[in-house]
Amino acid sequence: MKSLTLERVSFWYPATEAPALRDVSLEVVQGEVVALVGAVGAGASTVLLAAGDLAPRLTGGRIVGTVSRRDRSAIVLPTPWTQVSGMAFTVWDEVAFGPANLGWPTHEIARQVDRAMAHLELGPLATRDPATLSGGELQRVIIAATLAMDSGLVLFDEPAAELDAEGASALWRLIRALAKGGKAILLATSALDALPDVADRVVWLEDGAVRAVGTPDLLADVAACDAGLGTSVATVWGASGLPGPYPLTVAHAVRQWR
Amino acid sequence: MSIRLLALIPVAAAISLALSAAVDAVALPLFLDTTGTILATTLAGPGVGIATGVVTSAVNTLRNPTFWPFVVVQIIVALYAWAAARAGLFRSFRTAVPAGLGLGVIASLTSTPISYLVFGCTTTGGIALTTALGKALGLPPLGACFFGSFLSDFGDKAVTFALVTSVLHALPRRTAARFPWALRAIGAA
Amino acid sequence: MTGRRLHPFTLLAIAGALPALAWILPAPAGGMWTAAVALLLTLTPGWRPGLVVFRTALLTAAPFWVFLRLLHDVPTTIAIGLRITTMVASFVWLAATLAPDRLVEATVARGWSVTAAYLFAATITAVPTLRDRARRIVEAQRCRGLSPRGSLGNRLRALRALALPLVLSALHDVDERALALETRGMVSGARRTPLAPPPDSAVERAARWALLAACVAALIWRFK
Repeated sequence: MKSLTLERVSFWYPATEAPALRDVSLEVVQGEVVALVGAVGAGASTVLLAAGDLAPRLTGGRIVGTVSRRDRSAIVLPTPWTQVSGMAFTVWDEVAFGPANLGWPTHEIARQVDRAMAHLELGPLATRDPATLSGGELQRVIIAATLAMDSGLVLFDEPAAELDAEGASALWRLIRALAKGGKAILLATSALDALPDVADRVVWLEDGAVRAVGTPDLLADVAACDAGLGTSVATVWGASGLPGPYPLTVAHAVRQWR
Repeated sequence: MSIRLLALIPVAAAISLALSAAVDAVALPLFLDTTGTILATTLAGPGVGIATGVVTSAVNTLRNPTFWPFVVVQIIVALYAWAAARAGLFRSFRTAVPAGLGLGVIASLTSTPISYLVFGCTTTGGIALTTALGKALGLPPLGACFFGSFLSDFGDKAVTFALVTSVLHALPRRTAARFPWALRAIGAA
Repeated sequence: MTGRRLHPFTLLAIAGALPALAWILPAPAGGMWTAAVALLLTLTPGWRPGLVVFRTALLTAAPFWVFLRLLHDVPTTIAIGLRITTMVASFVWLAATLAPDRLVEATVARGWSVTAAYLFAATITAVPTLRDRARRIVEAQRCRGLSPRGSLGNRLRALRALALPLVLSALHDVDERALALETRGMVSGARRTPLAPPPDSAVERAARWALLAACVAALIWRFK
């Protein structure tokens, strides 16, 4: 069942001539992970804001086209320190901030918070003051806080930006698990190497418009590699002058090599 | 209150309270503790400015237990800044600095009675000493007290107005467009 | 008696009533009693070991006595000095015993709009972040030759170079914070589930009303 549909959406930020999004159409189904890739400024973050009903409602600007959502949505933004509520003095309270705002009863809040914290392995940090956490720890807290709101549609904007390799792999596994549990996930990321395992579909954005949509195999296309949007393996393969088709992952490369 | 304004007020109040680090680094006798209040007013109007001023005083009280009576001054500052913004006085230093000096006069007129009645003119060491100087010069008690407040407020408010002017002119267009008050304050609306 | 066990509103009531009484009651006796009570409070264990709070109160109040003596005669100095000491000691005690999260929870539990609690708490948490940023900007500029010497014009220009990036980056944050608040369900004026409401007792409620009544009674008595 479709969780999110964007139909021919164009969007202009306030006081800007050039549109940030041009005629973008995409949909995300429940249980699916759709990844948005593109160069900086290509519009991935803007798509997420439009999907989350934050643009133009909170950002201002003008929108054309329709955005329809079936589920409640929640967004994880790239910089964790601006997403801290400011009203919580322990990690547990920070994660509970959203559920409390929704007016849920205390036992339900506790259930969601404990579950979210377990997913992100935040148990040892439960009583810490968020102001004392590192960037990576804080980002995990914010992700947990977003998940605790139990939204059907979860939007991620560069969620692994502050995480180390181990934290990032754990996150990608979690995202796949969330999708399996029925959530619809829309993810903007530059961590292209993770996408073959995480994403069901990849949407390539260029200058605010959709250039291509496909499976993660898209990231091994010659065009994608030339645009700097290929996986590391594909890019290196292509740069070394080896013949196409480029392999998507190390496993593919090994098979092709043989 | 919209979410954006809700997000603005604590940041503006925190600006007022965090600028002391910058002031110390240049060794100037300024407070700049109304910067956030004036800025919030020029961006979003007097209501938001007053809220910022009240929050600034409330949080400041945790560190300086003696500054809370001056919340009245913060409110007056917000109202004055509103009038100045409506008149587009933040369009250049040439209009902003005199406006700031004017605020300096009004702010010290407001804070003098508070300083006199609550603290006997000893709000800070600086004010106490300049009050003593005023008395030595033969001024009556209230006048000497005003003399003390005035000297510190005069420059402080002028510098604050100049700083807010710089900030308003440096705002990216996308942000400035979201704050219609800001455009009016710099005479661009 | 530890501040941690008392309801936050009781702490506020005490910290408000003592200075009020210091001003309402005739000097110097009134001020002496309230100052004594306030200083005694700073001796009770609260957030930190008692003597630190007591010392802070004394050290903060001391300069006022010096400057008061410089400007006024002895009776006036004592009268005003005691009042200021009461106020300083009360607020220093309050700052040491009042946990911001308990105050936020108390406000929410009361069913009052979450807006005021948010503004207060968010400012408290934002100040250290901005202060750190300010220090880093100062350090960066020092590497570029910023010094507290020089003409007034130079120093003002330096101030601008320090303050402008701080303020602009803070304003940029505001947009992101708004997005984050919105997505976490923060609606101005909505009712929020209290997570850990501090316990309140009938005794404390009665005590708060009694304090208020005492202040009003003193006011009436004074101006009879």
